[in-house]
Amino acid sequence: MPRSSLRNPWVAVLPAVLLTAAFFLLPLANMVRLSLITPDGMGLGNYLAFFEQAHQADALWRSLKLAVMATVVSSLLAWPIAFLVAFCVSERWRYVLLLILLAPFWTSFTIRAFSWQLVLSDNGVLAWILSGIWGAPVSLGILYTMAASVFGLALFGTMLTTLTLFGALVAIDRRLIEASVSLGAGPQAVFRDVIFPLARQGWLVGATLTFIICVGDYAVPTLLGGGLKPVLAQIMLSTVKGTYDLPSAATMAVVLCGVVLITLLPLILLGRLRRGLA
Amino acid sequence: MTGRSLIASRALTLGLGLLFGLVVITIYMPIAVMAVFSFNSGRYQTLPFRQPTLDWYAQLARDQSFLDGLINSLIIALGAAILATTIGFLAAYAFQKARLPGKPVFLALILAPLVVPLMLIGIGMRLQLTAMGLQPSLWFVLFGQTVYVLPLAVLNLRARLAHVPSNLEEAATSLGASRTRAIVEIVAPACAPTLIATVLLTFTFAFDEFVIAYFLTNFQLTLPIKIWTTLVTGFDPKINAVGTMVFLFSLTLGVIAQWVLLLKQPSVGS
Repeated sequence: MPRSSLRNPWVAVLPAVLLTAAFFLLPLANMVRLSLITPDGMGLGNYLAFFEQAHQADALWRSLKLAVMATVVSSLLAWPIAFLVAFCVSERWRYVLLLILLAPFWTSFTIRAFSWQLVLSDNGVLAWILSGIWGAPVSLGILYTMAASVFGLALFGTMLTTLTLFGALVAIDRRLIEASVSLGAGPQAVFRDVIFPLARQGWLVGATLTFIICVGDYAVPTLLGGGLKPVLAQIMLSTVKGTYDLPSAATMAVVLCGVVLITLLPLILLGRLRRGLA
Repeated sequence: MTGRSLIASRALTLGLGLLFGLVVITIYMPIAVMAVFSFNSGRYQTLPFRQPTLDWYAQLARDQSFLDGLINSLIIALGAAILATTIGFLAAYAFQKARLPGKPVFLALILAPLVVPLMLIGIGMRLQLTAMGLQPSLWFVLFGQTVYVLPLAVLNLRARLAHVPSNLEEAATSLGASRTRAIVEIVAPACAPTLIATVLLTFTFAFDEFVIAYFLTNFQLTLPIKIWTTLVTGFDPKINAVGTMVFLFSLTLGVIAQWVLLLKQPSVGS
């Protein structure tokens, strides 16, 4: 009985479970409780207020729009890139390319977002280069727009989605591809009927994580999107740090939690989240 | 490379390679711009380049609040990395090697922080502290960031432990070693590269993490908080210098960790 030989596995799991329960689960539960506290006792008043107040509901809408666009763009980029790395290069190049692409992934998100300010601002590098080509001053007007936020988040999402998608593509048994080719399938049919169905899961995990990270991100919308049209995360932070209206902050956080849960639903239902991550 | 040439024509490879190159240039270009500006004597972040200077780096070295932030960040990130790797290793070991009732539930709980925005970890803990009448402090930053990097540790280590055959520990225990001793002397050394990579990776993530820390402190600084407050309260060219250094530091650690994890580690004892 090799697998049951650890006499008390609980001892080993307990520290991780306790830590996560104390500093993650408990705070989430407290957040839900706090969001139900209104001046007239417990109730859903804060949620009604959330959707009635235009600036909060608008912020949620902007967060969703931003996350959808960033996810779509990063998926569109991740498919060809992951395909290239998994199928078009030798095994040695594969990891070199992956390393080049993903290395900045481990570095500070904030600093990478800030460095885009230097490029995109109206007197930044891009405007300077374009002015040189154009021969006259060029006004970009990109920085502090939603397009700049989408761009910043999509680059990050491309790395993340490529990573999970590559994992799925590289795991595909090459004999399946050979078999379908020798049975007469063209490149498009191979992709549509063999590669895509087998890699869909890995793609879904990457796209889902990208959406979740983008919908709750604070740094990129602030540094590249500006503060005039805030997303939900920006309002949440200014509520906690500024106005101290904690029930209102908790309500926004629970709404964000709800968005995350709904996003995760397809993966949870498929029962594949764990497998996809591991 | 069977199957490779079957579906990928030369033209396709070339086209995809071009796209890859464009994306890579786009990813690295702004960082390069920042690095160049960090050596530019001009106070404003516009081209053309003026005089090369190390002035911003020198000013940085004399700025006590950046140094304080750096020291706090190093301590907290190291603490979070070691804590997460240790308890992550124990949990991964039990998940991998033992029959545990309710395993999916506990695994889901431990991995959950990975699939929520960091914002929620930060705001949740902050509201909890307030409810308990506690003051925000760097200790809570340590725990918050440990919760955040723990899933990464568990996933990495579980994948590695799957390749460590049980018969080695069986042999050790049947020869009279205690379970603890078998773990410390057999299993942990077999996972050593992954353990090191995990410490590096979790360290990097905690070192660069900003939102959780921002929620859980009032006046104490970590380096990302100091960078952030400098960024949003009017520009300071020192940011280019600190940004370049932090980027290179994280990049080095991340690349080493990634390299170790990507390398096919020998299957022990088989």
